[in-house]
Amino acid sequence: MIKTSEMQVVSPKSLDECLYLLNDQEKNNRLIAGGTDAVVRMKDKKWTPDIWINIKGMNELRYIRKDPSGIHVGPLTTHTDIVKSKLLQDKADVLTFAAKEVGATQMQNMGTLGGNIGNASPTGDTIPALYVLDARIELSSLYGTRTVPIEEFFIGPGKTVIQTDEIITDIIIRPQDTSEIGIFEKLGPRKAQSISIVNFAASINLDKEGHHCSSGRLAFGSVGPTIIRAKKCESMLTLDRFDKSLTHNISKVAWKEVAPISDARASSNYRRDMASALLERGLLRLMKRWENK
Amino acid sequence: MSIGEKANTHKEYSNERNQWIGKRIARIDGPEKVTGELKYMTDENYSNMVWGKVLRAEYPHAKIKNIETEKAESLPGVICVLTYKDIPGFNGFGIVTPDQPVLCEDVVRCTADAVALVAAETSEIADEAINLIHVDYEPLKVVTDAEYAMTGEAPYLHPDGNIHSHVKINNGDVDQAFKHADYIFENTYYSPRQMHAFIETEGGWGLVEEDGTLKIQCPGQYAYRDRLQISRTLGINPERIHVISSPNGGGFGGKDEITVQIYLALLALHTEGRPVKIHLTREESVQAGMKRHPFKVQVKTAANKDGVITANQVRAVADTGAFASLGPAVISLAVEHACGPYKIPNVDIEGFCVYTNNGIAGAFRGFGVNQVCVGIETHIDMIAEQINMDPIEIRKKNVYHQGEKSSVGHIVKSSVGTHETLEKAQNCELWTNQNIYKSQPSEPWKKRGVAVSTSFHAVGMGLDKPDYGAASIELLHDGRLKVAVGPEEIGTGNGTVYAQVCAELLHCDMADISVVQGDTSETLDSGTISASRSTYTGSRAIATTAPLMIELLTGTASEMLNIPAKDIDVEDCNVIHKKDHSILLSFTELYDYLSINKTSTKVNSQFYLPKEKEAIKGSGGAPHHIYGYQTNVVMVEVDTLTGETDVLRVVSIPDCGRVMNLQGLEGQTEGGAIMGIGYTLYEDVIIEEGYHKTSNLGDYIIPTIRETPEIETIPVEAPEPSNPFGAKGIGEVVMIPIIPAIMSAIYDATGARVKHLPATPERIFNAMKSTTSSVPMSSR
Ligand SMILES: Cc1cc2nc3c(=O)[nH]c(=O)nc-3n(C[C@H](O)[C@H](O)[C@H](O)COP(=O)(O)OP(=O)(O)OC[C@H]3O[C@@H](n4cnc5c(N)ncnc54)[C@H](O)[C@@H]3O)c2cc1C
Repeated sequence: MIKTSEMQVVSPKSLDECLYLLNDQEKNNRLIAGGTDAVVRMKDKKWTPDIWINIKGMNELRYIRKDPSGIHVGPLTTHTDIVKSKLLQDKADVLTFAAKEVGATQMQNMGTLGGNIGNASPTGDTIPALYVLDARIELSSLYGTRTVPIEEFFIGPGKTVIQTDEIITDIIIRPQDTSEIGIFEKLGPRKAQSISIVNFAASINLDKEGHHCSSGRLAFGSVGPTIIRAKKCESMLTLDRFDKSLTHNISKVAWKEVAPISDARASSNYRRDMASALLERGLLRLMKRWENK
Repeated sequence: MSIGEKANTHKEYSNERNQWIGKRIARIDGPEKVTGELKYMTDENYSNMVWGKVLRAEYPHAKIKNIETEKAESLPGVICVLTYKDIPGFNGFGIVTPDQPVLCEDVVRCTADAVALVAAETSEIADEAINLIHVDYEPLKVVTDAEYAMTGEAPYLHPDGNIHSHVKINNGDVDQAFKHADYIFENTYYSPRQMHAFIETEGGWGLVEEDGTLKIQCPGQYAYRDRLQISRTLGINPERIHVISSPNGGGFGGKDEITVQIYLALLALHTEGRPVKIHLTREESVQAGMKRHPFKVQVKTAANKDGVITANQVRAVADTGAFASLGPAVISLAVEHACGPYKIPNVDIEGFCVYTNNGIAGAFRGFGVNQVCVGIETHIDMIAEQINMDPIEIRKKNVYHQGEKSSVGHIVKSSVGTHETLEKAQNCELWTNQNIYKSQPSEPWKKRGVAVSTSFHAVGMGLDKPDYGAASIELLHDGRLKVAVGPEEIGTGNGTVYAQVCAELLHCDMADISVVQGDTSETLDSGTISASRSTYTGSRAIATTAPLMIELLTGTASEMLNIPAKDIDVEDCNVIHKKDHSILLSFTELYDYLSINKTSTKVNSQFYLPKEKEAIKGSGGAPHHIYGYQTNVVMVEVDTLTGETDVLRVVSIPDCGRVMNLQGLEGQTEGGAIMGIGYTLYEDVIIEEGYHKTSNLGDYIIPTIRETPEIETIPVEAPEPSNPFGAKGIGEVVMIPIIPAIMSAIYDATGARVKHLPATPERIFNAMKSTTSSVPMSSR
């Protein structure tokens, strides 16, 4: 295993240069953006590349903008950028709520959206939000680009479809309708600097009074190897008047949609119960926000 | 105020007339700590330094068959590799019983055990060398549970068996009392393996100086005892060892025992005069550092319809891990405090300190009382609810007052402020308005609860241990004064109190005092910084020394000026004429005169802490003479959907004797409250089959600022007669009653009782689920 002191760090000045470096498959390399996952893994000797390709300074991949194809968020956009973005607050509120729950201020200042996706943890807080916003991930290599829907992107804990010569170059999300409102719920062992025991994102369409829901997307994190879209629950959203009792009834089904494991942080039973609890709490809070809007 | 005042044998110091004592004084070390300008010893680096590392045991319990070091030794950059064979003296340490090998020879008993040491040119080479040491082990059966360890089935971890100590206190006749009781409550409580989680992990420096002195610079809690333990292993005279043990980036008891001092000493003997540094990574600190003893506590309490508690029976089992360290003292203190600050006529208390292969447990703020206060306090609340009595009234009814007999059967002659703390609790805004607060949860599915608890904690060593204080004061060339006191700065702010006391008694500005702590070449042996003793001990030691300094100064001035010493006083670093306050001489002039005449400008003195005369047989050190008392009122809010619990408000009511520094007191009550919140709701080092499942601060959950509530401090002053200022100690008690108070507040909110701490959201949720009625939503 390579010694930490022998590792190299190269900092490409442009995306092209970065793609060249990634294409060099002689050496074992890995991208590092904010480093809030990478440095931890390096210290634990889990990630020991010969070369770290440091992309943190690559400002061409740090942007938030809208065009007819959707909202584009550059992978080097930090969580703080997301939280502060007017555009996202308006058109992707659920993502701003999720980014606000990542670690605490220091992590949000350093950590990036691309890094949260690249790390592919089942507990990653922005990922359920990206699910309910139908995100597509653009991957680039020296040989071209491809776009992968988020539902096909993750293949297991820490595993994605990214090839060793590829880099995430864009994250494209669906702007929310004016009738759409989102919420993000996180249950961790404490309020800040904690890994989710269960998290939950929702984005749903309501009529003006908030009495009926015409459609909605619900996603759970940390209750399976990858994020789980709760399709049964989604289909129940439109069945009846959107109120406390409907929410309660949906929550009673939620635990059936998830497949959590037991670990040091929580038992699988508790995680199941919490899928229900977060769904109920999230929808109750969402109603309250809609009322106050 | 209280009887204590009348009994005060010392001259009265009233806070109003004081310039420094009792005031709100900022920490003398505050700015440099806040700005980060202060360097901890482990922050230092030297150009000619070498790096030391420790090889820890691979198994929690195994025979060592062979240790091969050749490969490591031949690695370029390695300076030395040491094993038990390189220990010149006694291969063991431990404050009470030196049962822990410095470097293991034939057996390892926990994954904290050290097997070999390496010194190398870089930290990376040292790590590599550690990996190249090959130890041949034969794994043995692992003792994972203290109750199991006490059975005949478990293998012996030490020659005398697994019960290191068994202590008892008996009073009256519990069987009779249980027979005649109106109500009996019986429950078992489990407490967590809390970690000190200090900001500075264990570490330090070792160096053999040119004159052959061995210098160990290592944060610690008792330099003289560290020195003694080092000298035993090295087989050299303690006089040849210079230990600097202050400042610490936090101690909380976790640096009371030897941490790395002996490793540093051994390595320093082999580095040819180059300084060697060891600084544990957080992961190593989690694995190898001392922890709080997890307890299993069975409690049976009897009471009458009128709220009088008639009997309490307690069986406490402490898991001390592989070595005793201070475990036997912890269990003794637990037994002494297990019935609370009450006068229960019939008690039957026993405690066991038991070896297992679960790491090592030792001293930690509260020292066994945290674990046992939960049983009695919870049962009092249960009794109060049963007979429909106010929880404060029932406590007031059962507490002992000064001059009364405690549950352990001795007459308490020192100051007792419990009753007054309870009165303050009863009148505090949170308690009187609790119903209003409880009716206003922040969200409809949340519930609020308010509860009260009270407890106490001994100040100073027990009856069977020596306990003394000492201080020296020196006149410096620039006319300022240096006060030197043994107990280290471990984050408590005791140094600020020492400066206050010195400035007060020598009538000068605090800025004219420099304080030295924890350095065997500068400070006299003055005992530990532990047992809530350093404010009491240091202030009294300075007060016994200051008159000698005044005598030296006025005597010298009298000699120089030919004025009777009795007409001379000191003020603002000058000697003055008592009559007209005219300045006679400056301290610098006195210093010059004394040094020309080759007279020492330093004075010092000692005193012995008061002790009880009669020991409680078999208790292992009870009773103590002085106790600090404390009541807490807390409000929590529980999310009934998830079990998440917020402590929203804390009222901390300490009886600290006289307040020495209001700001310092608040620092303690607030820090203690937060540490108590961590203990109750979040913290636990999980060990399974002898291996740590908790590895770092990522999975060891301590409260952050977002878990920190509004904390209000209402001091009660019941002056302690034996301290010249009336001071006692509250460094530990401030984190104790908050534990049962939070537990009861959760019950008040939800009807659910959690008896296994920490009360994580999952445990609270499950407890709510099993009380069914209180869970508005249950998914399955
Ligand atoms: C104390 C602490 C608390 C934390 N709390 C949370 C939390 O609450 N919620 C949460 O979700 N996470 C949390 N994290 C994890 C981490 O902060 C986030 O996952 C963060 O978004 C990672 O971003 P980064 O830029 O630092 O990634 P890095 O560490 O730089 O990289 C992470 C991974 O992504 C890859 N990568 C980075 N950029 C790209 C790219 N453009 N294309 C392809 N691959 C890429 C890297 O190669 C690496 O494999 C926490 C971490 C710490 C240390």
